[in-house]
Amino acid sequence: MEFKLEAHRIVSISLGKIYSARGQRGGLKLHKNLLVSLVLRSARQVYLSEPGCPPEPACGPPEEEPPPPGTAAWPAGEETTIPPPPQDEAARGGPRVPGAECQGPRPRRCCCGCSCCCAAAAGGEENRPDCATATGVAATLPPPHCPRKRSAGERVQAGSPVKKPRREVEEEPPPPPPDEQEDMETGNVASLISIFGSSFSGLLSKEPKGRRRPPLDGGESVAATSAEAAAEPGQICCDEPVLRTLNPWSTAIVAF
Amino acid sequence: SYTADIISTVEFNHSGELLATGDKGGRVVIFQQEQENKTQSHSRGEYNVYSTFQSHEPEFDYLKSLEIEEKINKIRWLPQKNAAQFLLSTNDKTIKLWKISERDKRPEGYNLKEEDGRYRDPTTVTTLRVPVFRPMDLMVEASPRRIFANAHTYHINSISINSDYETYLSADDLRINLWHLEITDRSFNIVDIKPANMEELTEVITAAEFHPNSCNTFVYSSSKGTIRLCDMRASALCDRHSKLFEEPEDPSNRSFFSEIISSISDVKFSHSGRYMMTRDYLSVKIWDLNMENRPVETYQVHEYLRSKLCSLYENDCIFDKFECCWNGSDSIVMTGSYNNFFRMFDRNTKRDITLEASRENNKPRTVLKPRKVCASGKRKKDEISVDSLDFNKKILHTAWHPKENIIAVATTNNLYIFQDKMN
Repeated sequence: MEFKLEAHRIVSISLGKIYSARGQRGGLKLHKNLLVSLVLRSARQVYLSEPGCPPEPACGPPEEEPPPPGTAAWPAGEETTIPPPPQDEAARGGPRVPGAECQGPRPRRCCCGCSCCCAAAAGGEENRPDCATATGVAATLPPPHCPRKRSAGERVQAGSPVKKPRREVEEEPPPPPPDEQEDMETGNVASLISIFGSSFSGLLSKEPKGRRRPPLDGGESVAATSAEAAAEPGQICCDEPVLRTLNPWSTAIVAF
Repeated sequence: SYTADIISTVEFNHSGELLATGDKGGRVVIFQQEQENKTQSHSRGEYNVYSTFQSHEPEFDYLKSLEIEEKINKIRWLPQKNAAQFLLSTNDKTIKLWKISERDKRPEGYNLKEEDGRYRDPTTVTTLRVPVFRPMDLMVEASPRRIFANAHTYHINSISINSDYETYLSADDLRINLWHLEITDRSFNIVDIKPANMEELTEVITAAEFHPNSCNTFVYSSSKGTIRLCDMRASALCDRHSKLFEEPEDPSNRSFFSEIISSISDVKFSHSGRYMMTRDYLSVKIWDLNMENRPVETYQVHEYLRSKLCSLYENDCIFDKFECCWNGSDSIVMTGSYNNFFRMFDRNTKRDITLEASRENNKPRTVLKPRKVCASGKRKKDEISVDSLDFNKKILHTAWHPKENIIAVATTNNLYIFQDKMN
């Protein structure tokens, strides 16, 4: 469980780094962003494969300082080839990672508020009220054991009345610079951040102010990329099989 | 401004008489060692400022809406061929060849000019004289002789001068180019690891260096912890390495951050050319060029940080790129750490020492006191616990005089020069 929380936290931190890297002087640092994307991918894999969920969400404010880090080790996944980790002996200061992870499989019109779903599911705006009211909960990844234990997932959904304020990722980043003959290829950042970010919204503790995501013109690009990987738009953040095919997207992060 | 003073590179020239530093503001400051004072036998000459010049300015690439930082990433000296000194300095995109020359005489006695440069009315000239050179206060001038631009899409991390002294390489995240020092309008691409689809990118080039003796050989390191040795005679595009140096990962150390800490931040050949040294986040490794499957020596720089990697990831320290250097005889290697500590490892005795570069603790001519970090358990007197280390005080750049035991250590914005006690 701690590994899941750790993984979750690392994903949030990584997203924050990728996002803040966009404005930095001198242009995107390819090396650093590649490393961050690798960490992000590892953490996300761990997060997806880690069984179990915290009993109650801890939607805490951002910590003043990071908890003493334990050995961020791989969980003992059932079917993964990752070796079992050493025990995490560093005491953690209590669960601080908001626990909205344990939502069950989302309804089709997912209420994650992520731009991809809303925008892709026909025109953004009209879905938003639905999104906002249906559960009022930011979408997260479905319970990681979904593919193997659907019943457990449903059970969790029924039993976890998690209501968190929906906290969006940063407002839509400016459109990427136009592609030239040899650009650094920053095109996918906006879509990736919106996808990952909304899945983990509320956990970007570095951005305490929730900001609405305005209607997108980037919506098309987001929808386009999401369409590549998903059979149906609207299921991007929710569908386990789709989430597993997010792997190409995680590498797209490095396409700066 | 404050941040412009952040030192970003330090390099002795081939004789050790000159020491160049580059900073985040694009300036180069060169120090010169005083001539040895025969009466003061207990120390070698001090280093004083010799020349300061603005090497690079910030630029804006309007086409790509990108600002190009003026920070000097690397300086490399050319061997001295005549009275003038030459060095290469580079920022993220552009390499410049600078000539540093002394002027200690000037012509006086012009016929048509006054001493202050004003022109005389020719009708007032009644006699002619031949101008003569008279001594003047030494003036050191730096002038850019070549500008090597527009060859790098990604950020330049290394430059290295070939032992032929005619060519040099420059490396960015994905490509390495070969230049001739005289020719600025073209370069040859010798390594290109950019994948056709950038989404498949898994590693970048982090450092590159020419072999000190073998002018066809160079190495480059990667973010995955590998080093490739390439022979330019094999093919024009050295995408296929002659040798691949890689140590298998220790599975018991696996963590989310394994990949980051295995990324190599610096690679340096020994002066002999027989070994090379790599620096990754936690260690220094010495490789024998004849053995690819593992390093021959590994030195832990600050293993106590291994349990702190998550915090170091969060505060970005895990991305710090430490450099490393050899002493002149290749018997000692040195690298920096946090809290203004730097470490030296004696390869023969296997002893290591931790020293601190700070004004509070060191007065001139006092011997540096060894430091010790207490990783866990009861802290002894004079030890420093890991949690009280200052991670903002990092020593990324160090240099060792090529012949003497004089070292230059750069803290964030101060340069320290230490020499070993004589007698």
